[in-house]
Amino acid sequence: MRLEFCWFCSSKIYPGHGIQFVRNDAKIFRFCRSKCHKNFKMKRNPRKVKWTKAYRRLHGKDMTKERKRNRPERYDRNVMENTLKAIKKIDKIRHDRAADHIAQRWKPKAAKERREARKELEQSISLIKAPLAIQSQEPAITVPKIKVKAPKQQTVEDQLMEE
Amino acid sequence: MAQYDFKKITVVPTGNDLIDIVLSRTQRQTPTVIHKGNAISRVRQFYMRKVKFTETNFTDKLSKTIEDFPRVEDIHPFYGDLLHVLYNKDHYKLALGQLNTARNLIKRIREDYVKLLKYGDSLYRCKSLKRAALGRMCTVTKRIGPSLAYLEHVRQHMARLPSINTGAPTILICGCPNVGKSSFLNKITRADVEVQPYAFTTKSLFVGHTDYKYLRYQVIDTPGLLDRPLEDRNIIEMCSVTALVNLHAAILFFLDLSGSCGYSISQQAALFHSIKMMFRNNPVLIVCNKTDLQTLEGLSGEDLKLVMEMKSAALDVLLTMSTITDEGVMAVKNAACQRLLDQRSERKMKSKKMPTVLNRFHVAMPKPRDQKERPVCIPQAVLEARAEEAAHEERKTEKDIENENGGAGVYSASLRKHYILADDDWKLDILPEFLDGHNVYDFIDPDILQRVEELEREESAVEEDGGDFEIEDEDFTAEAEKDLQEIRKRKKLLIQKHRIKKSTAESRPTVPRKFDKDRKFTTERMGRQLSSLGIDPSRAIERARSRSVSRKGRKRERSVGGDGEDEMEIDGGLDNKKKLRLRSRSIEGFKDSAQKMKAVTMARNATKKRNKDARRGEADRVIPTLRPKHLFSGKRSIGKTDRR
Repeated sequence: MRLEFCWFCSSKIYPGHGIQFVRNDAKIFRFCRSKCHKNFKMKRNPRKVKWTKAYRRLHGKDMTKERKRNRPERYDRNVMENTLKAIKKIDKIRHDRAADHIAQRWKPKAAKERREARKELEQSISLIKAPLAIQSQEPAITVPKIKVKAPKQQTVEDQLMEE
Repeated sequence: MAQYDFKKITVVPTGNDLIDIVLSRTQRQTPTVIHKGNAISRVRQFYMRKVKFTETNFTDKLSKTIEDFPRVEDIHPFYGDLLHVLYNKDHYKLALGQLNTARNLIKRIREDYVKLLKYGDSLYRCKSLKRAALGRMCTVTKRIGPSLAYLEHVRQHMARLPSINTGAPTILICGCPNVGKSSFLNKITRADVEVQPYAFTTKSLFVGHTDYKYLRYQVIDTPGLLDRPLEDRNIIEMCSVTALVNLHAAILFFLDLSGSCGYSISQQAALFHSIKMMFRNNPVLIVCNKTDLQTLEGLSGEDLKLVMEMKSAALDVLLTMSTITDEGVMAVKNAACQRLLDQRSERKMKSKKMPTVLNRFHVAMPKPRDQKERPVCIPQAVLEARAEEAAHEERKTEKDIENENGGAGVYSASLRKHYILADDDWKLDILPEFLDGHNVYDFIDPDILQRVEELEREESAVEEDGGDFEIEDEDFTAEAEKDLQEIRKRKKLLIQKHRIKKSTAESRPTVPRKFDKDRKFTTERMGRQLSSLGIDPSRAIERARSRSVSRKGRKRERSVGGDGEDEMEIDGGLDNKKKLRLRSRSIEGFKDSAQKMKAVTMARNATKKRNKDARRGEADRVIPTLRPKHLFSGKRSIGKTDRR
């Protein structure tokens, strides 16, 4: 018994699910459900279909999978024990890393949103406050300041040294 | 001298069947279409063909039958007599004769009608002639129906006659009923004849074959004979008599010493003497059967004398046997075969061909050189190998283990016991296949713990590092937040309103603002909006009110009344002409301004209601019912209904 991966969407196929298609050149295509099977029959490229793992990895949305080794090993009970223990840990690490990856992707959004909000505030303030009112109330509205981490100031000596 | 095969006779159809066969053939194999418009010669030809064809078929079939059946005179007398006995020669001949007559009659009919057809003058006449001809032929055939049935019966029986080769060496078994003839046949040949305690179990001739000295002998079993004059004999006995008389064979006359067949020895002896005549030149052997019940020695004096008499008549050949105990059976057979063989070779010797044959070959025996003995010689190695083979132990195979433990379905071989592992305890381990949705096999690695440690170290390192350096912004103040929310809300509302306006633009008439149906455009509203923007509205409201039409009045009025100070002032002084023109233009069609006022008021009142209602009309591009029933239900008289 092996858990296979769907050729189209790369999800796990548990026993008792899905369809396997064997082509005349003896290549086996496994599908997890009829959705993937039908997409395959329509000759769609999974790398272009948005919801598949293939697309997501290709476009950097998800973490890429590491290659698996295919060397058969002689059975050793101790190795088996260790493997079983390790699987859990590896699973957790993988999970965390994938979450990290996605979080990284989302980071720039926050900054972007803030910038856009600021601009909006500047431009569309006239919808809620008339310019006369603003002029009279100027000190009340403050556009928030932007702080940028400045590079270290070159000392005079450094500058001289450069020259 | 030949082997007769009566199975090759073709099936004889019954009268009606024959008619059907021939007529249907005629219908199928001759052309069927003719019109009375065709030339008369064609018509004649058409019908003549049919008559000829029918006659040919009848003749063929009858001739075949006549030729297939054997002529009693022409075949071996044994078969001739047999046929006579079974079927009555006369009846047989008569039947065949009738067939012959019928054949000739049909021929005659055909000749006559063909002659008549030559002069047929119309289609109808020709057709009638053909019908008559065919009808007569069929009548003839119907008349010979019973003969055909009899011949078919004969044929079926003949096909089942035993095929006796009249030229081969034969042994004939005869005697009283129930003496043990059929059992003897069963013993020496592969025939499986019925053996029963009642008389006349065997009702016809049976043939078996046996071998002796590389020669094949026929053994014929006959039905039992009773001591009667020839005229009184029934068909079954006649069969055996025929065989006795006509076949050249060694005759085994069976005697039952015990009398358990139901006939005493004297009766049997009487029978023997009565059929003695039929033996002629054939070698005869007296065989005493059932010695297990009564031996020859134990016979009474009278019986013994009778037996001895028979023996002397049979050239002193007497044998004893018992078919049940198999005692002497082979001896009898060998004796009979030998007698026959001797007779045959004697005859051959006496014939003229013999010397020529004898002269042709000569058997040479090599003379021994010396008296030395020369035995068989086998090399030592071969002997040793043979001894080893014999002493070789059988290795226990998996198959043997399987058989021991219950066979293929019960025992399944353990494939694991030959595994080569570091520790033999592990041979029977159950291997897990997957855990938590992962294939265990994909993770097996002797160094897996190491790798896991590395990974964990990496992870912890990354955590310590913390996040990347970000460009930090100050968050908005609470007020700024609030303003932002307001802005967004306002924008949403605008968009919503616009959307409503857009969607209803086509279906609603745009009422100009000045009619103000809902009383939206009031100064209070303006004041509220301005104050929400943070401006003091009082001045704006004042100005708006002062400039309103109701307060100020109409332009035209002012100009008519000449009170239009503003306009007038701006323009400067007006010419008289202008004044005149203005005046006349403004009260065109009316007597005076009062009348005009009234008219204007009336017009305004009339349109007021309509505008206020602002109802939709046909011109407003409205679909009064979006889904009319007549389009969305019911079958169509023409066309498809898969789209609505």
